[in-house]
Amino acid sequence: MATYKTPQGGVIIVFSVLFAMLLMLLPLPETLRFVRPEWVIMVLIYWAMALPNRVGVGFAWVVGLLIDVMMGGTLGVLAFAYALVIYLVLGFHLQLRQYPLWQQALSIMSLVLLVHIIAVLISPRTASWHVWLPAVTSTIMWPFVYGTLRKLRRTLKVS
Amino acid sequence: MASLILFFLDSRLNYFSPVRSVLSTIVYPIQTIASLPSDASYWIHDFFKDRKQLREKNTILEAGKLLNSVRLQKLEALERENMRLRELLGSSFRLRERVLVAELLTIDLDPFSQQVVINKGKRYGVFVGQSVLDETGVMGQVTEVSKFSSRVVLLTDPSHGIPVQINRNGLRAVATGRGLGNDLQLEHLPHNADVRVGDLLVTSGLGGRFPIGYPVGTVVSINYPKGKSFAEIAVKPAAHLATSREVLLVLPERRLDTKNESTFSEENQ
Repeated sequence: MATYKTPQGGVIIVFSVLFAMLLMLLPLPETLRFVRPEWVIMVLIYWAMALPNRVGVGFAWVVGLLIDVMMGGTLGVLAFAYALVIYLVLGFHLQLRQYPLWQQALSIMSLVLLVHIIAVLISPRTASWHVWLPAVTSTIMWPFVYGTLRKLRRTLKVS
Repeated sequence: MASLILFFLDSRLNYFSPVRSVLSTIVYPIQTIASLPSDASYWIHDFFKDRKQLREKNTILEAGKLLNSVRLQKLEALERENMRLRELLGSSFRLRERVLVAELLTIDLDPFSQQVVINKGKRYGVFVGQSVLDETGVMGQVTEVSKFSSRVVLLTDPSHGIPVQINRNGLRAVATGRGLGNDLQLEHLPHNADVRVGDLLVTSGLGGRFPIGYPVGTVVSINYPKGKSFAEIAVKPAAHLATSREVLLVLPERRLDTKNESTFSEENQ
């Protein structure tokens, strides 16, 4: 018999996503602008992986829409991309949890790449090779994001 | 779900500008918080300037002011002369526009499109298409207005074009952005067009978006690629697109004029 725990700590989830949004906006030097990791999708992926009953496709879609507006892109592009990615993550979150960290990071790379492929295909932006850099930096940053959020989840008992 | 997504993808047809404006109002607090650290650093930097630096700056500003007021005297005479001559020709126009000062939010947006967010919105009467200047030239135009903020597309955005004319000989052209890099290019000018390196480009006022006569940039290089019918002309923007913190929004008088004209024509009918 599965015992139902009442969900708690929704505030933490929302705050972590808001904090990731801040990181997306923080001004960086010109040379670093193109390598900014995709903080928001990483945070979303973590929560979808750890608590699939809390963070779903709809939440990801809303967050994506907000980012679209914030960045001034075509409305709905990132909403679609984020929703799709979270859908995929929900599909194999059990496997993803078992992976060693480096393998998880590689999955993150492919997921972030997917976001960028969708963005490049749909929105009329200048496509250059810079587009693929965030996927690499996101991969590098994933262990930190994972560690931080797991610590956060355990100490604050988000479930 | 999927239908909702497709629905929103249609936003390119501009049906969703009200929705977008509401959502922008929602994300404005996030944007403000994100710009806080660098705002604070500017503030601290200002606060801890010592007396000597302030005095030096003051002398420089005083000198600049003197120079400007001398130039202004001459300009006023010229302006009056110009108006008089134009009246003789029967085509007078207003030389002065009113402006509104706004500040940039120091946040990074999509690095693949050149946009900035400013802290004045609908509350101050900002409207879509309003032109944005800084102290040295044209910066761009407003594309999206929410309650407290608005989004400005810079001249260097690949989707932006601005009608210009060469100050020296009045040759008209369109300067478009190139995206990456900080240059503009002049489009569709044939090889024999009279353009020289160093020419100053000003807004031509055609199209009715930008007020006439503001500096846009200077020509920095001209190439004549063989086998192509148009010259490749690179223009360096006059405005400090990357470093300006305060911008001016032009409040056009012409709006009122066109309204008056339309009411007149209605009356005539």
